[in-house]
Amino acid sequence: MKPIQTASTSVVETALSCDLRAHHSIQATLDTIVNLRRRPGPGPGERLPHNFLKHADEQTVVGLAAVLEAIHHSGLSETDFTNWGIVAAPSFLGRATLVGALQRFEAEGAWGISPHFIPHRSQHAVSGTISQVLKVHGPNFGTGGAPGSGAEALLAGAVLLEGNRLPGVWVVMSDWEPELIPDETGRPAPADAICHATVLALVPPRPGWQGPRLRITLPGRGESPEFDASKSLKSIAGLGALLQIFSHEIIPLTVTWQFEGGGCVELRRGASIVNPPKWITLERRNARNRAEVTQGGAGTENQR
Amino acid sequence: MSQGTAVWITGVGAVTPLGHAYDTIADNLLEGRSGVRRVSIFDIAQHPSQIAAEISAIPCPPGWDEEEFAGLHKLEQVILWCCTTALRDSGWWEQRGSTRVGLVLGLGAEWLIIWDADFRRGGKRVFSQEKDAEPLIFRTRRKLGLKGPGITVSAACASGNYALAQARRWLELGWVDVCLAGACDAGVTTLGQAGFGNLRALSRRNGDPQAASRPFDRGRDGFVLGEGGAIFVLEPAESARQRSAHVYAQVAGCGAASDAHNMVIPSPDPEPAIAAMRQALADARLEPASIDYINAHATSTPVGDIAEAHVLEAVLGEAVHSVPVSSTKSMTGHCLTAAAAVETLACLIAMERRAIPPTINLHEPDPECNLCHVPNTARPMPVHVAVSNSFGFGGSNTCLVLKAV
Repeated sequence: MKPIQTASTSVVETALSCDLRAHHSIQATLDTIVNLRRRPGPGPGERLPHNFLKHADEQTVVGLAAVLEAIHHSGLSETDFTNWGIVAAPSFLGRATLVGALQRFEAEGAWGISPHFIPHRSQHAVSGTISQVLKVHGPNFGTGGAPGSGAEALLAGAVLLEGNRLPGVWVVMSDWEPELIPDETGRPAPADAICHATVLALVPPRPGWQGPRLRITLPGRGESPEFDASKSLKSIAGLGALLQIFSHEIIPLTVTWQFEGGGCVELRRGASIVNPPKWITLERRNARNRAEVTQGGAGTENQR
Repeated sequence: MSQGTAVWITGVGAVTPLGHAYDTIADNLLEGRSGVRRVSIFDIAQHPSQIAAEISAIPCPPGWDEEEFAGLHKLEQVILWCCTTALRDSGWWEQRGSTRVGLVLGLGAEWLIIWDADFRRGGKRVFSQEKDAEPLIFRTRRKLGLKGPGITVSAACASGNYALAQARRWLELGWVDVCLAGACDAGVTTLGQAGFGNLRALSRRNGDPQAASRPFDRGRDGFVLGEGGAIFVLEPAESARQRSAHVYAQVAGCGAASDAHNMVIPSPDPEPAIAAMRQALADARLEPASIDYINAHATSTPVGDIAEAHVLEAVLGEAVHSVPVSSTKSMTGHCLTAAAAVETLACLIAMERRAIPPTINLHEPDPECNLCHVPNTARPMPVHVAVSNSFGFGGSNTCLVLKAV
């Protein structure tokens, strides 16, 4: 992937583009995660030791399951992922387990803390676990940590793909909706909370690609656009729903999310010129299975 | 600016168990002083490992409200001190609001640390999402008034190297004019001490804290928890030249590879770590023999130190007997997410002071770690090329090459 030099009215802006080779979203309740923990998915997921995910966080399990399904459904089953990279952005990872750990510490002291707690609840745990399953020897790291950091994950993934000249990068985003917050007895609540994971396989841009393409830009020198939080990528579920639309409908749509610092991530269909683009507002609470498409503001295309 | 254009380090801010000012840290590293003590910030009596390299109170940076700063969590204090000091050191402090200053911050588990600390004070933040709206990366950008993008990177001990690699690329792409990059951690906590202790990763040499962290020594029995952080100002060489800025070094090469083996145990296959080192050297267009100093990851665990020694043998070849290697974790402890950044600082100090910091407590080198050690006393010599290895949980292997300018 090569940087694209784009002349605008006053500045020279450098953008990164990458194709979305595969994507998948999974929504799972605590009950269904029990099953995914035993059998997270097809292909490599069927060959894992039975206790491989025993200590893994729920977001790790669901993120891995989404990657395995994406591979299965996108014709990537024979792909060698050795040199790929992984960037994962779980949200509030380990909250539920921490409550139990704190309570055990109160009751039993230092010996009550599981040695698996830190390795599986640190922000790198999702990417590290997936790297083992896919036998990825390229870079892997975590990013974000809270809702709204999806765009940063895409930024980090695109930079990794381009800067390290990798064949592909998995970007794995996950969260709970509503947030899984144990009560003071340690029981996870609400019981019907849903863990969402949306994964994207980014690859370098290819000529003629008709599928979704990401483009990441940052403002040029002298520009200081205001960050509008309503245009940030807040909902993992909403992103998944949006990608479904891109997959099944040929629609002239460009979606742009901002991140703090004035840059933006643009999602559109490859090899298509779209004008005018549309803002997509994805309301976190209402986005389980649908994306609200609203016309408003101006996309990056017609600002240049 | 394009890939291959030089990126220089022009500012440094750090909090370490050896001090919070560059000169103090440099003096202590080169004097071979240990920052390891019996843990004092919480009741340690029931823990298997009772020692750590804690940081002392962090002074309020100039320009900040002292009362407000004192009320912040230690992790946030570390970040703000490091960022402020680095920006001031580089000369960008006054221009930070009118320049595109990016921030790439290595953080490993900010929410766990903050929820844990709050719970111990009787708080209930872990039970409510209401107060968790703003992550530290956004708070830091806002408090510093930065205009560029910000992201966190988390690769356990390797986070700092990933942060510098990402920041360097942002600069090469022209996305930022200046970028703060590094990593911070405040991992000396009850959970940290208990979790790593029960993992049997920590030294139990409780009766002799300052001798506990002994990388490459036959008597090593685990690592010692440390904490702190280091943040660097990176900018294009052209910009630094125009400003006549003080330059610490060039970020010349970065390499990264994953073990794909285990979340905790180093891979018996040294190839991924070898690949990370070779990538970094190739990126810097340097041969192994041109390395003047290697700051090893070497944490003082029986397995990890040997694994790294085998990696160094493979990468250096004949030069393994002539390229000096030390582990400054013998003095700072293992600063976890901050480790790579703190060790980048150790490399800069070696370059600037023309002396290699030692591995202290190295009295009987493990014969399986047959390297050109710098035991116990700093070695005066010019350092033009320094290499810093950092290998983290999650199977992350990273290598950073720094070149004198």
